[in-house]
Order: sequence, then structure tokens, then C-alpha cells
Amino acid sequence: MAGVGFRRWAQALSKGKGSGISALLSGSRAASGSSKDTVLGPPPKSPEEMAAAAKKYNLRLEDYAPYPDKGEGFGDYPKLPDRSQAERDPWYKWDHPDLRRNWGEPMHWDFDMYIRNRVDTSPSPVPWSTMCKQLFGFIGFMLFMFYLGETFRSYQPVAPKQYPYKNLYLEKGGDPEKQPEEVKNYEI
Amino acid sequence: MGAHLVRRYITETDTEPDPAKKYEFDPEFGFPERKEREMVASQMQMNLAQLPLEQRDYCAQHLLKLMKCKRDNWPNFLACKHERHDWDYCEHQDYVMRMKEYERERRLQLRKKRIEAQAEAA
Repeated sequence: MAGVGFRRWAQALSKGKGSGISALLSGSRAASGSSKDTVLGPPPKSPEEMAAAAKKYNLRLEDYAPYPDKGEGFGDYPKLPDRSQAERDPWYKWDHPDLRRNWGEPMHWDFDMYIRNRVDTSPSPVPWSTMCKQLFGFIGFMLFMFYLGETFRSYQPVAPKQYPYKNLYLEKGGDPEKQPEEVKNYEI
Repeated sequence: MGAHLVRRYITETDTEPDPAKKYEFDPEFGFPERKEREMVASQMQMNLAQLPLEQRDYCAQHLLKLMKCKRDNWPNFLACKHERHDWDYCEHQDYVMRMKEYERERRLQLRKKRIEAQAEAA
């Protein structure tokens, strides 16, 4: 009697759509994660494979280009231009305004790097060479002027200040046993 | 203002005194007799007042008087004008003496150069 109840309980557990160990036992899967037809495939070689891969990633055949096969593991994932999301039109009504992306649009391999909070590939307002020349020109000029200032120091035309008690020998921590050299200060 | 820098670096580079180097002429040279500077405040007095080293100069006695006056008259911060003036005047005299020393060194250098030039010409 107890054994029957135990067997029924075990069967109910294995058939149920619970999470954790019961999910492993029952064989049913969650709906998250990639399905069999969207998972990454091997690098495409023939035109049919290229067409199939383009369709899978929601791209036109003209726009689809896989990564060169160097054994790095990119598979048939498309090589999209390395432009960050910050370069996209800020005024267009994107489905995800923060990410500037529409639903179903193919994501760049480094999409998480190219979000607006991170790497930005927008062009600089002034040519890069101009910016470099201005910055390093300024820094170089300042360093040169500081060097000149050190070589040709500016000072007041006065003699050094005179201090009493042999130039404050004891006050500056001199040895009381030793006799320091004689210092005479005169009026002028 | 700055003429000494022009002299030092451009026109008279060999005679203008260098502030970093020690002055080479004998202090008594050119004077019949020279009075030594008098230090009024003792080392113990300056120690008790805990004066910083830069202020332990030949005007320290005025500074000690000023400090005592300020301490006695607090909170009246306008009280010690006379003592402050004495200290300032002493420091001013000290600075003027420094300027005179510099000028003396400069003139002695020029004189030395003139004598050498004459010796060479002769």
C-alpha cells in the first residue's frame, strides 16, 4: 500500500514540468536559449550554405559575409561592420531606443562592447592628426619652456639671507660637540 | 626689474654674480672698518617662542616683541601697529642690505675684470 503510493509519487514527479532535478528527469526543456535551427553552424562553403546562413541570420545574401575561417570558432556568424551603436541615428524610432536596435536585427559579435555606454567608434569632430598635433605640440612647447626656465632661472638681485649663530648650526641639528666653521655677518 | 637677468645671461655673463655660488671677495675689502651685525634675541628665547627657522634672523627680537604684544592684546587685532612696523622696518633694512651686498659683489667683479683687461693690454 505504501509502496504503491510511493511509485505513484515518483511517476508524478518524473512526468511533471517542474524545474531543477525534476526537469532533468522528465526530459522537457525551457523555452529560453537557442533552438536547433538558430544555433551556430559550421563556416559555410557552398553558395547554398551561404544562402541558408543568410536566411538564418535575417540578412540579405548581398549583406551576408562570414568571418574568415581561421579555426577561431566564429562558424557561420555574419561579419557585420565594426560600428558602435552610438553612430546610429538617435532620432529614428528604434524598437529598443536605448540599444538603437530593432527586433530581429542581426547583432554584431561584439554587440555588448558596442553599446552606447562602452566603446564608441563615432568619428572625431576634427581630424585625428590635427588633434594629435595640437595636443603634443602644446605639451612639447610647455616642456621646452619649463626647461628654459630651469636653465635660465629668474631670481631677485639680492645676496643670500644672513642668519645668526653660525647659520643656525645648532637649530638645524648640528652636532654640539663639533665646532662648525666661523661665519661673520657684517652690516653694510 | 630684470636688468640683472639680462646682464647675467646675455651681456655680462662672466661678471654678474651667480646667486648659487658663494661670494668670493673678502668682506673687509674696501672698508676701513666694518661693524658686525648684532644678534639681540638669544637662542633660548627663540627656542621658547618656537620660532620657525626662517624667522630666526637678525630681526627676531622685534618679532618676539610683536608676538608678545599680540598675545597680550587679543582679541584686539588692531593693537600692535607699532611693534609690527618695527619688525617690518627691520626686515626691510635687512633686504636692503642684501641688495647692497649683491651690488658690491657685482662692482668688485667688474673692477676685477677691468684690472685684468688692463694687465693684458699692457
